Formats: sequence, structure tokens, C-alpha cells
Amino acid sequence: MRAFLPLGISLLRALALVATITFIVFLLIRAVPGDVVDVLAAQGDLTPAQQAALRVDLGLDGTVAEQFLRWLRQAVAGDLGQSVRFGRPVIGMVEQAIPSTIVFAAAAFSFGLCLALVLALGALMAPRSPLPALVEAINLWSIAVPTFVAGMAAILVFSIWLGWLPVIGNMVAPVVILGLDIAGQLAKPLLEELREARLAPHVRAARARGIHPVLVAARYVLPKTVPVLLALSSISLASLIGGTMTMEALFGLPGLGSLVLNAVSGRDYPVLQAVVMVLALGVVLINAVADLARRLTDPRMRA
Amino acid sequence: MSGAAILPVGLAGRHGASGRLLAGGALVLLALAPGLVRLLLGGADPLDQDLLALNLPPGAGHPLGTDHLGRDLLARLTVGTWLTLGTGIGGVLLAALAGGVVALLALTLGGAARATAYAAFDLLRVLPGVLLALLTAVALGNGVGPVTLALGLSFAPLFAEVVRATHEREMAADYVAAAQVFGLGRLAVLWRHVLPNLAGPAVTLCAIVLPRCIVTESVLSFLGLGVSPDQPSWGRMIADASGFAEDAPHVVLAPMLALSLLTLGLSLLGEAARRRFDPLRREQRP
Repeated sequence: MRAFLPLGISLLRALALVATITFIVFLLIRAVPGDVVDVLAAQGDLTPAQQAALRVDLGLDGTVAEQFLRWLRQAVAGDLGQSVRFGRPVIGMVEQAIPSTIVFAAAAFSFGLCLALVLALGALMAPRSPLPALVEAINLWSIAVPTFVAGMAAILVFSIWLGWLPVIGNMVAPVVILGLDIAGQLAKPLLEELREARLAPHVRAARARGIHPVLVAARYVLPKTVPVLLALSSISLASLIGGTMTMEALFGLPGLGSLVLNAVSGRDYPVLQAVVMVLALGVVLINAVADLARRLTDPRMRA
Repeated sequence: MSGAAILPVGLAGRHGASGRLLAGGALVLLALAPGLVRLLLGGADPLDQDLLALNLPPGAGHPLGTDHLGRDLLARLTVGTWLTLGTGIGGVLLAALAGGVVALLALTLGGAARATAYAAFDLLRVLPGVLLALLTAVALGNGVGPVTLALGLSFAPLFAEVVRATHEREMAADYVAAAQVFGLGRLAVLWRHVLPNLAGPAVTLCAIVLPRCIVTESVLSFLGLGVSPDQPSWGRMIADASGFAEDAPHVVLAPMLALSLLTLGLSLLGEAARRRFDPLRREQRP
């Protein structure tokens, strides 16, 4: 029962965060000199009356606070406005983009997490093998080699030089590249944590009793690292989102990343506003869930 | 901690930090060398277009060839060196300033100021850097300034965290308590005890964050959220050339190689610094 109070608080905080971010975006977009109507007016000739009518149509009339409240009311009712460029309801575009982004990000993250676990456990169990060096190397790789450079290299090598088409529109290469990046971020701190966990008295006692090392690792060492792993995962979430957007742009995959980047270049602000809100909501919710999971798994935080 | 060999260079072998220092320094020098030569000898205009000489392979006149608009690749690469490095350094400095100074101020004032500042840092921490850059690009447009702002804001929480850790440790120290009993004011404590202990970790953190800043800048510029089209930062150059990778792979490869060398070298230097001073790790364990 106790666990639900922090849950409620962190959910409330999460919602407040999303509202703050959404409002900031709203303000920023409206702080840009020249709105869509100005852009359209510059392209064709619109009379001032038509411009005013268009502003009412697009919800761009009145003060910023009025606009925000109106937008929020509609958003809660499931109406995120119309795309300025495509004339389609934004909610439909976002709904279409969300599944592919989630599938892609989840695939890359699971691959990265599994790889990090395998590498870190292997390096722990076999300290004289090349595995510890591999953990170092992959960590350096994830810091030093941007995902888009690795992706570009993959396109050059596999698609253009070897001719193993088609890399564009294919999910395998970007998932592997982003997964490697995530694994590089997770494996090293995980290994450090595992090494520390192995020194704990109850683990040493278990080893002294002659329990098989694999069983010791599975039953005593690994569970102890779960809270740290959760914390690490929520940190690498930010780079997961950035990486997903980059990979979508580079490999021509559909999704929120492609959607929002096109919205920026096309000044499609209703779309931009909606995607930023969805992304912020995603980040904040996942963080809240990770936080809760940490509370439940870490005895020190359960009290 | 085993001294692991992580580089094919062999230098990094058993020498640990000093090997990293050497290898990192060599890589960074290698990456910056063309830019340094340009600083000394000058070079062609990176924006000069020659529409009769598009995507030329390396040759006389254009040592590295030309890009899809007939611009000299070497000139762009060398100008890009300083643009890339400069934006990265600017981002680090802004992060240190925004994170460090604001955090110090907030911690000294305490109460509501502290709560507000760290709530803001928490907000920045959960916001992906790309999202931040999206906002700065929308509000301020493309260019070195907006990117630097995005970089500074997204890395500021790290500095705030280091400041908080150092501040807490110093405030709990007996000698600080003793000094306070003798009437040393808040600012004096800050000046005499917190700041000197902050200098080392802050500088180390700068070294760690610099390659990340450069990588982030290149990602943002690649996505079109970074520098403006006439500024040839390496990320921007890769983005521009990516559409012509089939016909002119050297145009996209050159900045890719330069960027990887630089960030790899800087990461090695940062890792060497981290092993030596380590601002973010918890207390050393037995």
C-alpha cells in the first residue's frame, strides 16, 4: 500500500512536467517571428481579411494564453488540429507514426540491453578473456562514434559497395547500430556494478559454500544490479530517442522522428507541437515507471 | 580494474591512463592537423562554387576533390575543423556556466532557489538533447549560437550534479563546520572551501563532456537542427554529401573520418582524465 503514495506523486510530477514542456513548446513556437499565415501570404496573395479568417481557422487568433487553453481543451478531446502542410488531422499522422517508432526503439533497446548483459556477465565470469577489453571498446565506441556516422558507413559498405540491397527502409542495420550504441552505454557501468555486487558478503558466502558460479551469478549477483540497471536504462532513454530519430532520418524509416523533422523544416507547427508532446509524455512516463520499478526492487527505497 | 587494451594502437596496452593520453593526443592532433595547416597557410574559400567541377575526385587544384556544388572539399573540411571543435567547446563552457554557476548560486541561497534550480535541471535531464535542439532550432533558427545553447542546456545537469556532490561533501566536513563556528560567512566558505575542491572535478568533467558535445553537435547538424547551411561543420558536411554517397563516396567519407578521429581521440583523453580524477563516481571502494 505504501508503494502507491510515491507512485501517485511521481505520476503527478510526470504530468506536471509534460504540461510544462508542452507549454514551453507552445510559447517558443509562437515566439518565432512570422507564423504559417505569413508564410502562405508571402507565397500567394491573401487579402488581410482572408489572413484573419485563416488565423481563426488555425487557432492563431487571440493571446497566447487563450490559444494554449483552447489547444489544450481540444487536445484532451483528442483533437490536435490539422497539419498545415498536408491538411490532415494531426492525431491521425501521430497515431500512424507511433507504432513504428515504438517497435524500432524497443527492438534496438532490447538488443542493446541483451548484448550489454551478455558482455558484462561474460567479462565478469571470464576476466582473463578478451571480454573485459571488449566492454571497454564498445563503451568507447558509443561515446566516440555517432550513430549516424556508423549508419552512413553501413550504407556505404553494405548497400553501395557490396550491393546487398536494400539498406534504405530496412530495419536490421539501424537496429543493430543503435543497439550497439545502447549496449556501449550500459555494459561498462553494469560490469562495474556486477564486480561490486560480487564482493557482497552473502555472495562470497554462497561462493564459499561451493554453489556453481553460474547459479551464484543468476541468483545473487544479477538481482542486486537490477535497480542500477533501471537507473541506467532511464538515462540512456534520452539517447535512445535521439538515436531513433537519427536512424529514421538516415534510413528513411517512417515514425515520429521523420514526422517531427519534416515538421520543423516545413514549419508545420501543429505537427511539431503534437510530436513534442507525445515524445515528452513518453520520456516522462517511462522514467516514472522505471522510478517505480526501482522503488519496488530496491529494498533501500522500499521503506 | 584491469588495464585493458582497447586500441589497436598498442600504446594503450598496459600503460592505462598514460597510454590513453598518448593515443588520444595523437588522434586529436591527426584530426586537427589539416585545420592547423590552414590556420598557418590559408586556403581556398569553402563557399566558392564551381558548377563545372561537381563531385570531383581528389586531384590537382582540389587536393581532396569537390562536393556536389563544386566547393573545395579540403577548404570545407579545414574550416569545419574549427567550427566543429569551437561549437563543442562553446557547448561545454556554456554547460559549465549554466550548470555550475547556477547550481552554486542555488545551493548557496538554499530553500526555494535550490528547489527551483534543481527541478529545472531534472527537467533538462529527462529532455533528450535532440528535443531541446528541436526547440532552439524552431525558436532561434539554425546557426552556431542556437546549437551551442542546446548543447549547453542539455549537458548542464551533469555539472550541476558535480557541484551538488562537492558542495554537500564540503558542507559536511568538520573543518568547514569549524570555520563556520568561527564566523566564516556563506560566501567565504564557498570561496575558500567549495570552489577549490570543485576546480579539479569540473575540469575533468569538461574533458569528458567535450567529445559528447561534439558528437551531439554533429548529430544535430546532420538532422538539420544544427548549424546553418553555409557553415560546414563536419556533421553538416556529412548530411550534405549523404545524398551523393554513391557517385562521390570520398565527399562523405572525409568528414566521417575526421569526425571519428577527433571524437575518438577526445574520448580517450576524457577517459584518461576520468581515471585520474573521476568526478562522477562514488567514493572509491576498498
